[in-house]
Amino acid sequence: MTAVTTEAAARSGLLAAVRWFKMRDHVTGYAYVFPASLLIFCFGLFPVGYAFYMSLRRWRVTDRGFVGLENYADALGSPQGALQFAAGFAGLLAAYYAWSRLGRPRHARYRAARLGSGLLVLLCLYLIAQGWQLMQASGDQRFLNSLPVTFYFAFGSIPLQLAIALGLAYALFQKIRGQEVFRVIFFLPYITPVIATALVFRNLFSPREISIVNRVMTAFNREPQKWLFEPERALNILFGAQFDGFWAGPSLALVSIILFGIWTYVGYNTVIFLAGLGNIDTVFYEAAEIDGATRWHQLRHITVPLLSPITFYLSIIGFIGTFKAFNHIYVMLEPSAQGTVTTASVNVFNTFYKGNQFGYASAQAILLLGIILYLTFAQSKIMGERVFYG
Amino acid sequence: MAKGALSLPLAGTRPRAVRRRRAWRFRSARGLLYVLLLGGACVSLMPFAWMLSASLMTYGETATRRWVPDVPQFANYARVWQEAHFARHFLNSVLITATTLGGQLFTSVLAGYAFGRIAFKGRNLIFGIMLSTLMIHGMVTMIPNFLVISNRVPFLPLPGGSWLNSLQGIVAPYLASVFSIFLLRQFFAQIPFELWDAARSDGAGHNTFLARVVLPMSKPALFTVAIFAFINAWNDFLWPLLVTTTDRWRPLMVELWRYSREAGPETHLLMAGSVITIWPILVIYFLTQRQYTEGIALTGLKG
Repeated sequence: MTAVTTEAAARSGLLAAVRWFKMRDHVTGYAYVFPASLLIFCFGLFPVGYAFYMSLRRWRVTDRGFVGLENYADALGSPQGALQFAAGFAGLLAAYYAWSRLGRPRHARYRAARLGSGLLVLLCLYLIAQGWQLMQASGDQRFLNSLPVTFYFAFGSIPLQLAIALGLAYALFQKIRGQEVFRVIFFLPYITPVIATALVFRNLFSPREISIVNRVMTAFNREPQKWLFEPERALNILFGAQFDGFWAGPSLALVSIILFGIWTYVGYNTVIFLAGLGNIDTVFYEAAEIDGATRWHQLRHITVPLLSPITFYLSIIGFIGTFKAFNHIYVMLEPSAQGTVTTASVNVFNTFYKGNQFGYASAQAILLLGIILYLTFAQSKIMGERVFYG
Repeated sequence: MAKGALSLPLAGTRPRAVRRRRAWRFRSARGLLYVLLLGGACVSLMPFAWMLSASLMTYGETATRRWVPDVPQFANYARVWQEAHFARHFLNSVLITATTLGGQLFTSVLAGYAFGRIAFKGRNLIFGIMLSTLMIHGMVTMIPNFLVISNRVPFLPLPGGSWLNSLQGIVAPYLASVFSIFLLRQFFAQIPFELWDAARSDGAGHNTFLARVVLPMSKPALFTVAIFAFINAWNDFLWPLLVTTTDRWRPLMVELWRYSREAGPETHLLMAGSVITIWPILVIYFLTQRQYTEGIALTGLKG
């Protein structure tokens, strides 16, 4: 009798102990997570909701009441144009889906799907162009102009940056003497405070005839340029063309800033590519060598495909980075570049800090967030499917 | 398989001319690689070299085509140091960086440990929400954060009124970092659970286990997080620019930028100021570069 009760007591005591342990785990877990959660809630999560709230109000330094979507309408101009523009981009994704998903080769639906998605792309491009013109006619020029500037900035920086980094990483990987020294040197621009290096570049690319870049220009028998002060399109200046409009490309001032960005970030990309190269199994190269593949074939058919997850990661990080980029553009920005270097981030900052339009700046920031989320999503859908994960 | 292997000529049996041609091709390819790498290194280093050289010039020399100064003007550094009150801003930057570093390590170690090793209710939900904030563009949070720090948001009253122009105002948004938490979580989660069982049977709780076992084992990860935090805090510009309107807590980066707007064409002083702001980063980097680049590569590979 007594033995049974002590056993029961022991069992219930054990249960209580287990329950206490679990309970204590929960409590400790919450206690450990609490400081970080509180801070991230206050400065990372709550602001998103509050920015949305502000964007619906007239708020110039102080809150002046609810205005609905007026701030968004101010930025985008014609609502119809904005809708067409957005629908065009949504349609592009849909067209990609149709292209890649519907039907198999030689299947009856295959040709129809390809034809249909081709037509859809044309329709979407038309919608985008049309919507863009409607928005341009009545929207906020500063905000709308900052979007193509950001586009040039991203597409001017990232492909070149990745290509150079891949080249350098590939070269470094060939059992080069002093590999570590090179790596340290390439990485240096990335860790140095960007304010200091941007100030240096402002001097290198200054419009004075004795600035370093202009000395290089004259050494190659070219005219010295105004660089960071030059709002004219780079293509027109360097090749004497007379382009205008969206397809004419970035201004020379923006090109100078892009060059700075490449100088800064190539080292970072090189280090990551280098680590990725180290992760590729040498078996692949040995097999290819036996099959008689040349160096170039090995690079093209082994290295590049096996590095594709890293290229993908770097390009996503790069895109987000170019949309976030602020510090160096702000330091290198000259008024005489006439807004041709004002990217979307800088424009939001100016609306907020110089224009004191808190509500309107929030609306612009949220539009920008939408654009970035769309781009990241599209990029991970389209590029993500082509990535080859070993 | 065997046939293919047999038909391969062995290295020693190749005709001498072929061997020589291959060796030459190999050597010239290698030479090309070195040219490429040296070119890249020159482009990387040239702005630094010029910064250093220009910082030692006289005002007159900066307006000429000279590459190096005749007599190095070390007095430039003293002049900048005094004119722009760099002593104060340098100290500010040191204090801001130290506070950020300490706070971020504290919050991230605790949160990383909890997310990686304690099974509590809602863990994945909280962690997921935290990770999702990484998608948010900094410009979205900047404006509300500015209002919070200036104590103008009624839901979040601050103790002691506005935090503009104060240390806590500059560091508060950086005291927790999702990125650091993520990094530490990944590292802590790899520590074998047998160790925890052994520690628990010896009567240790989470506090003891974290302090005595996990932290000593995680020095590389802690080190990586600390270097990242240090470099980010030292280099930060936009947020301190917003929340400092007086000299009191303004960090070096913001002061350098303001000075550049004042100094105008005085290149030599500006470059001396730049050198002053970057040397702590360079020292830290050279001391820890292996660790740091490994950390970068690791985070890059894991995505």
